[in-house]
Amino acid sequence: MNHLTTAQLSDFVHGELSPANDALAHAHLADCGVCRAEYDAEIALGEALRAAAASEELEFPSIVKAVVWERIREMPPSPMARLSAWLRPLVAVPVAAALLVGVWFASPYAPHGAHPTVDAAYYLEAHAAESGDSLLAEPAGATMLETSMEDGSGAVPATLAEAVDAVR
Amino acid sequence: MGATRGPAETPSAEQNAFLERAMTEYGKATYNFAYRLTGNETDARDLTQEAFIRVFRAWRSFVPGTSFLSWIYRIVTNLHRDELRRRKGRFQEEIPEDNAPQEFGGQRPLAVTPIEDYVDRQLGEPLSRALAALSPEQRQVVVLADVEEYSYQEIAEIAGCSIGTVRSRLHRARALLRRLVERAQQQQR
Repeated sequence: MNHLTTAQLSDFVHGELSPANDALAHAHLADCGVCRAEYDAEIALGEALRAAAASEELEFPSIVKAVVWERIREMPPSPMARLSAWLRPLVAVPVAAALLVGVWFASPYAPHGAHPTVDAAYYLEAHAAESGDSLLAEPAGATMLETSMEDGSGAVPATLAEAVDAVR
Repeated sequence: MGATRGPAETPSAEQNAFLERAMTEYGKATYNFAYRLTGNETDARDLTQEAFIRVFRAWRSFVPGTSFLSWIYRIVTNLHRDELRRRKGRFQEEIPEDNAPQEFGGQRPLAVTPIEDYVDRQLGEPLSRALAALSPEQRQVVVLADVEEYSYQEIAEIAGCSIGTVRSRLHRARALLRRLVERAQQQQR
């Protein structure tokens, strides 16, 4: 078998060769001093990187955390939150209006059914019943009667009935 | 800085609790990952802050039962890539092409170098200095593969690229690191 390439060695070191190639590389390294030395160098490089990383491991600065929270506090609301805030009056106003209308119709002041109409005949009958006059009786002193029903005696009929009797 | 507390107006207490827990449990790992990508503490702080803001905003997209670290590493990676693109636009940083022919890899093994000796002498050397020679993409893959020890598949998911690209970047980065080691040893002789 030819010598292992640096790429193969790197993959071998990282455990990224296929099982078959891994076995071949393993067998080759057992017999080949040149490749074994290369393998050792690859291993040493990885260990050096890890050792150097461990030797200069840094603590998480507390200021990072504080700044993150500070920035979040100052963060403008999300588009959804902005949309919701914008829509709130558009929704609230019609809802409030609908509630007011509902309350109005539920109240005793609200008109129920059709508008009442004045029944003229009933009105006249009721009025006549209260005053004891006929349907055509007019209140005493009505200007029109005073002028039209004068009989020359100076007496003014109190009602239309009296006026009629007087005429007779 | 005073004690941290939740914002006055946030969508939910659950969202606040999620972020608080994320920063408490994964803040250090995230910050160190950001530091290894950027190579300096100032950029690492900015990157970590931005990442946790994203976590807060996108907390519902985290799938319970999956690795939170992988999720936030992906966020950090994306933010770092975006930042590099912005800077590249300003400074025209030279980043090696991933598909360029590899100097190493196949024709013959590298000359054997006593890496162990180098490690013994240079253990105090900051990792950021050693990784600074790599392109941002290579540095990211090396950190994920060799420091965080993720699989190629996981790295591909975090970095948003194919496994082949991960493999290519990693091989190239490791070859470059070994070359730098060799050069450093020759200079010391």
